[in-house]
Amino acid sequence: MGFFNSLKDEFVLNFIEKGRWKSLFKGLGNTLLITLFAVIIGIAIGIIIAVIRTTYDKNAETLKKNGGVKYRIMKVLNTLCNLYLTVVRGTPVVVQLMIFYFVIFTFVDNGLIIAILAFGLNSGAYVAEIFRGGIMSIDNGQFEAGRSLGFNYFQTMRYIVIPQVIKNVLPTLCNEFIVLLKETSVAGYVGIADLTKAGDLIRGATFSAFMPLIAVALIYLTVVVILTKLVKKLEMRLRRDER
Amino acid sequence: MSDNKECIIKAVGLKKYYKGGEIKALDGVSLEIDKGEVVVIIGPSGSGKSTFLRSLNLLEIPTDGSIFFDGVDIAAKHVDINKHRQKMGMVFQHFNLFPHMTVLQNMTLAPVKLLKKTPEEAETKALEFLRKVGLYDRAQAYPSQLSGGQKQRIAIVRALCMEPEVMLFDEPTSALDPELVGEVLDVMKNLASTGMTMVCVTHEMGFAREVADRVIFMCDGVIVEQGTPEKIFTAPENPRLRQFLQSIL
Ligand SMILES: Nc1ncnc2c1ncn2[C@@H]1O[C@H](COP(=O)(O)OP(=O)(O)OP(=O)(O)O)[C@@H](O)[C@H]1O
Ligand SMILES: [Mg+2]
Repeated sequence: MGFFNSLKDEFVLNFIEKGRWKSLFKGLGNTLLITLFAVIIGIAIGIIIAVIRTTYDKNAETLKKNGGVKYRIMKVLNTLCNLYLTVVRGTPVVVQLMIFYFVIFTFVDNGLIIAILAFGLNSGAYVAEIFRGGIMSIDNGQFEAGRSLGFNYFQTMRYIVIPQVIKNVLPTLCNEFIVLLKETSVAGYVGIADLTKAGDLIRGATFSAFMPLIAVALIYLTVVVILTKLVKKLEMRLRRDER
Repeated sequence: MSDNKECIIKAVGLKKYYKGGEIKALDGVSLEIDKGEVVVIIGPSGSGKSTFLRSLNLLEIPTDGSIFFDGVDIAAKHVDINKHRQKMGMVFQHFNLFPHMTVLQNMTLAPVKLLKKTPEEAETKALEFLRKVGLYDRAQAYPSQLSGGQKQRIAIVRALCMEPEVMLFDEPTSALDPELVGEVLDVMKNLASTGMTMVCVTHEMGFAREVADRVIFMCDGVIVEQGTPEKIFTAPENPRLRQFLQSIL
């Protein structure tokens, strides 16, 4: 009986007293907020980078032959993209986050915005590779059909290729969202009260680690499991639509 | 066709080399095509038929030579090729319909975005074409719900929705089951009878005999012989043409 009583006491201490449970859900809110906006930024960056890189790969020869400014611009852009991909994927996200917070954006005191930017920029590198694979997997005949109707390269991308790519990579993108959700757990390093930090703050206040940390883990797990289920459903629906 | 011939496409000395000249897909091809003319290109596999056809709208950039379309050298630098391509419809062996769009969307996308037609105008026109090719009731279908022959008929009218001056066909019936070839050829025959300028790469010799004003025989990247269908099919001169005709008949 004593064991259960002490469990109950622990629970009351860690979650009920001073309304501590609220901070966990506020933390979850921040976690979801950062993830959502970071993914949106990541998708925007990812599409742009993927289009630049595939454009360069597909058209380098013809651009080179025509020579001139266009080729040089594309070459510089492509090099910049590669540099970005190398740096972002070659360094830990928590280090990137800290550099953003403590070095670059020292004049911004809204940690949430910095975290969104940092995770967005980080995610962009991974999303770019997802989209690049997606663009490369579209049959070249689609490009040719678009071009033969009179669309220029970017119109063909926009109206014909990208919509198909988005449909094809949607499940992978959702999985990227799930990965990112877990990665944002380092946001506490720059003083953001995300879910992980909220649990840790409770631990610091109550000097009891078990309950708050297990609660944090269970909340992440629940969200991830639900999202994974939804992605599976989406995947099945997309496959059914293909007939 | 008519007496006062008006040249619409003129290729001069077209060359297309791959691997630094090791492969000569086109090795100096010159050809004039008149308005309203139906030209059929035949030849063995690898003779450069597709490369030539695709050079005409610059899907392949020729290594050397010029292509005059309506008097403009479209292979020259600083030409807005997209404007000229709008006037050159192209039909591919594998249809290349846009799978994420309905038939109607496939047909109205380019006219709305490029010719700045209103969606209503574009749809009216598209439905008219669909009725002509007997696919009016498939307007809302997706390409994956169509047979090969239906897909190719849609691909043809999709190109026609841009009101092109020339139609280029690259083996439009080669990917079809034999029983579906006829319906596509019928559409092409009808199109020819409306006076459309057509350049067709095909292995359908019946179509060439019946519809072509001129048959071009290509081999090893050059035009070896050309003439009326009667001359090409009944009195071929070049030994390679004779051999080719024997092999396919
Ligand atoms: N991208 C490429 N790289 C190298 N060689 C090529 C390329 N495209 C075409 N070729 C070569 O150019 C030649 C002409 O090809 P093309 O496709 O024009 O022939 P074709 O007459 O259309 O043949 P088919 O009847 O098989 O379609 C062939 O020898 C082919 O291998
Ligand atoms: Mg071919």
